[in-house]
Amino acid sequence: MTRENHARALLLAPQAMRASGTARLQRMGLVVLGVAAFVAMCIDLELAPEAMLAGMDKFGQLAAGAFPPSDGGDLPRILKALAETFAMAFAGTVLAALAALPLGMLGAKTVVGQPVLHFAFRRVLDWFRGVPALVWALILVSAFGLGPFGGVIALALADVPSLAKLFSEAIENGDERPLEGVRAAGASPLMVLRYGLAPQVTPIMASQVLFFLESNFRNAAVLGIVGAGGIGFELEERIRIFAFDQVFFIIGLYMICVAALDTVSQQLRKRLA
Amino acid sequence: MTAVAEFEALRRRTLRRQRLEALVGLLIFSAILLISFQRSQFFSSDIGGDPLGRIGDFFNRMIPDLKGDVLLEDRRTTGSMAWWFCDLPVWLKLGWQTVEMAIVATVLGAIGGLFASFLCARNLMPIAAVRFTVRRTLEAIRTLPDLVLALLLVAAFGVGPLAGVITLAISTMGGLGKLFAEINEEVDARQLEAMEASGTGLIRKIRYGVIPQVLPNYASYALIRLEGNLGGAAALGIVGAGGIGIELQRAITYTEFDTYLAILLLIVGMIFLIDMASEAIRHRLIGLGEAR
Repeated sequence: MTRENHARALLLAPQAMRASGTARLQRMGLVVLGVAAFVAMCIDLELAPEAMLAGMDKFGQLAAGAFPPSDGGDLPRILKALAETFAMAFAGTVLAALAALPLGMLGAKTVVGQPVLHFAFRRVLDWFRGVPALVWALILVSAFGLGPFGGVIALALADVPSLAKLFSEAIENGDERPLEGVRAAGASPLMVLRYGLAPQVTPIMASQVLFFLESNFRNAAVLGIVGAGGIGFELEERIRIFAFDQVFFIIGLYMICVAALDTVSQQLRKRLA
Repeated sequence: MTAVAEFEALRRRTLRRQRLEALVGLLIFSAILLISFQRSQFFSSDIGGDPLGRIGDFFNRMIPDLKGDVLLEDRRTTGSMAWWFCDLPVWLKLGWQTVEMAIVATVLGAIGGLFASFLCARNLMPIAAVRFTVRRTLEAIRTLPDLVLALLLVAAFGVGPLAGVITLAISTMGGLGKLFAEINEEVDARQLEAMEASGTGLIRKIRYGVIPQVLPNYASYALIRLEGNLGGAAALGIVGAGGIGIELQRAITYTEFDTYLAILLLIVGMIFLIDMASEAIRHRLIGLGEAR
């Protein structure tokens, strides 16, 4: 809008073009307050521009020293670690899906009709959902020792509440009529589940599980940092000794793997939908 | 008669194909699963005897040894609440630092995402090469887990919240940039056309044509992201990027599992509070409050 048009419009309809004085003042006050709070937080966190610049400089040096990226002469080991990370993600996701299936059934309003029970169950799931995989991994690694076993269990434990919630929502959103139809044909409750409900919810659940597999591949890489094996472990080791050429190599390889897995999973999900 | 026979044949063929597909899928799935369990040493790893007992033992050690009669005594009394939450002032300070990190990083990331989203929205950025580059960059950011980025940045920026804030801001930018761009592309084109007809430049078109339409959605996504970032900020401390995570790590290293549980409860409570606040704001923003 040109200045001229704006001025003309303002003359014609001042109310439409400009909010009232108090409203403007209020909004301005809110903005000023927000900015002040933000600046105060930055100061409290000691986010000084000098520290920022110094860090950037250091990062530039590290990155410059990292070229060309190299595999450190041990490519098989890196590939093995990547495979291990994927294995952790896959095993963890499958275990989580298996455990979430009965829990999701219990969490569905249409299965457990009792409102208090339903509410309590959902809240418990909510609380457990707040615990990230990393926290489980810290516990389990100290219980089972270093290695991917703790990682698999950690991923599974972190996913179960979220998956259970999604599953129960899928079940709740299922159409009641096919179930009634199957029931009317004289099917047993188990057959009602198999022929009335399963065809409706399986594609939704499968696509959610695939989604979790993608995210778990990322999480699994992180778990290695706290000692649960896989690529994260290799990465952390190399960052500790400042072998940044190898670090960048691993990160590059890892990103390619993530992109590949995402593509495959997206294709599968598209077929399911 | 022939029609029925034809139908039966077709049905048999379809069924056979479906079963074959299911079988192949199942085989592939089982093979991957088997290899996964083998590779992750799920059944073969040396976890010592009686693993379930060890988990039980572990949880046992996590439950603090509280005594009912001295529950409200000061922290020197073994078994009181104050003894369990022995370092509460320190934790609250670090917890607040975590909240600050999440907020600052979300704001910075949202601003970055805002610029990126205009650069990669199909209806606002006419140059395809720019769109492509920005989109790929955002994608690359999203593939990198926060903690890996944090490890790199801690090496460069030193231990402290600065590295954590930058990490979260970058990953927030990657996530929000994509979501914002999607919102931008769903903007009502008629208002933009009207502005074009009156000879408006790109910046003003964005300011008066796009922003008023998308601001509530932006804010809603940014708030959801803030909820996620709080958990992320709590975890980042584990690699030394500031916040409460460092205490979590310390408690585990010194095998003070009851302290670990105390900090964990604190974090979960913190996340719960922020979730509720953010949900209330979001519902107001999208006008759900009035609809009820």
